[in-house]
Amino acid sequence: MHALADTAPAHSSGRRAGVVAWLLLAPLALWLVLFVVVPMLGLLVYSFCQRDDLGRVVYAFSWENYARVFDPIYLKILGRSIGYAALTTVLCVAIGYPVAWYIARQRSPLRERLLLLVMIPFWTSFLIRTYAWIAILKSEGLLNGLLQFSGVITAPLSLLYTPTAVVIGLVYAYLPFMILPIYGSAEKLDNALVEAAHDLGAGPIRAFSHVIIPLTWPGIAAGIMLEFVPAIGMFAITDLMGGAQVPLIGNVIQNQFFRARNAPFGAALGVVFTLMFILTYALAHRRRRAAAA
Amino acid sequence: MIPLPGSRVIVLLLAVLGLALAPLRAANKEINLFAWSEYFPQSVLEGFTKETGIRINYETFASGEEMLAKLLAGGTAYDLVQPPDYIAEALIKNRLLLPLDYAKLPGVKNILPEYLNMAHDPEQRYTLPYMASTVGIVVNTERVKEPVTGLVDLFSERHAGRIVVVDDARELVTAALYVLGHPLNEINAKNLAEARPLLAQWMKRIKLYDSDSPKTALLNGDVDLGYVWGGEAARLWAENPKFAYVIPKEGAHQFVDVMAIPQGAKNVEAAHRFLAYLLRPEVSKAISDEFPYTNPNGAARKLLSPAQLSNPASYPPGNPKFGTFRHLGETGAMIDELITDLKNAR
Repeated sequence: MHALADTAPAHSSGRRAGVVAWLLLAPLALWLVLFVVVPMLGLLVYSFCQRDDLGRVVYAFSWENYARVFDPIYLKILGRSIGYAALTTVLCVAIGYPVAWYIARQRSPLRERLLLLVMIPFWTSFLIRTYAWIAILKSEGLLNGLLQFSGVITAPLSLLYTPTAVVIGLVYAYLPFMILPIYGSAEKLDNALVEAAHDLGAGPIRAFSHVIIPLTWPGIAAGIMLEFVPAIGMFAITDLMGGAQVPLIGNVIQNQFFRARNAPFGAALGVVFTLMFILTYALAHRRRRAAAA
Repeated sequence: MIPLPGSRVIVLLLAVLGLALAPLRAANKEINLFAWSEYFPQSVLEGFTKETGIRINYETFASGEEMLAKLLAGGTAYDLVQPPDYIAEALIKNRLLLPLDYAKLPGVKNILPEYLNMAHDPEQRYTLPYMASTVGIVVNTERVKEPVTGLVDLFSERHAGRIVVVDDARELVTAALYVLGHPLNEINAKNLAEARPLLAQWMKRIKLYDSDSPKTALLNGDVDLGYVWGGEAARLWAENPKFAYVIPKEGAHQFVDVMAIPQGAKNVEAAHRFLAYLLRPEVSKAISDEFPYTNPNGAARKLLSPAQLSNPASYPPGNPKFGTFRHLGETGAMIDELITDLKNAR
């Protein structure tokens, strides 16, 4: 905690760099303005508009879309989406932490090779990997075939098109986003600190909870930020592996833009969704700063 | 002080980007085709390019609504679109299609009379029928022994967790309206309120919603029954006749997908040449070979094999009860809300 507080003033020395700093930041700023700020403003404008019977946006002011967002139907969907994302995040931490820790503790060539294995799946398209899961989980698929062949089960299990399949798909898709940042923290962790904890009488559990977890917390927090929010908005996996049975908020927003042709309502959902996360992030940030102070 | 690159560099960069993205095409040397996925054989597209030198950019969609949304968004200047009949009706009513020049389309005489002057285009000015089909029931007769003749049988309790349906809110609502005995275009609060409990019961029994390829789950054995597009059912039957196609006795939705030239098309001449090519009997037959929907081209049907013509999903025997969709307007949103609500209630 002290280390964090000590580094804070160092940032102020950069303030004088002015022009150079802005130049270096320009590509990022341009990117943010073009692909984040401008589309978000467009969404904001749309969300107060109406639609005609073909689904074209009519620029006439209306609060109606926002009134509909807070209909219990959509609040329930949002709640369910957050539930799925939270479960995915917890599972990813539980599975990803030991993996990241193990990789970080290896010697040099092996460590890089293991890291490569985590990243190799990214070389294939996300959709193709999802279809591969369909081939594994379907009732005449690889997993059922293996289990039946080995005599564990007699009738095929119904795995595909269930909530379990959705969670498997989500955990699979986001696991690397959890492993990599935790690895980053774990690799930097000085073993001497763990040894010091042992020397001072901490058992393995106490050393883990009081030394290792706090020191790798930045990695865990980064992993959670990287995956929790995208997991809430994910729609492809629920459609492909969940059979589109139970809508999550991503599916609903996507449907508004295409199937239902109600862009203003879709935009209102998107705006509320985004505001919620900005707010959550701001609160988390404030609490962290308060804790650091 | 480091010299600023200034706005001139940015302008230059943007100009280069603009050049790269600008359409480097001569008029009528290519066609931007916006059509359903899994509907044009590659050989048919390549045959046209080989004959005329006109390149075809085939962009796909998975629902009529998606097509309409992207067409209206106006990102690409499409030269040919392929809306289902009721979307074509909406486009015609809003003056978003160009009239066709029939002098350039002599092959229109090949189209069977029942597919001309239909409700969506009563004067036959804007559209040409591409393929027609129905939405009906597929039964894996190896797994399902009891007879399934209608929608009530399909969605019965004993089939719970074994059904795939197209992920299309209007098709589901239509099935319920048929069972209740209401006309399929009378979408109003009263009829939807009546349909609601029935749909709620059915939707608890549906395992999978898939519009893109509902046949896959049936082939994989994940489900045993389906409420799917006739063309998908026809491909299943051709693969294995254990997949029987049943036109529900309560009635079925029949649709025609049409070709049309939207306002704003840049290559109208080339689009007409492609339409004339599609009307040729041998080309139309090649489409039926790969995608066995109901072919509205009478001359092409004469070229089909007896096996193709006896496919019950392509050419349903007997005289079943069919209805077509009309453009709904505002009430369409009620359907979407009902189905979202019901999916959510599970």
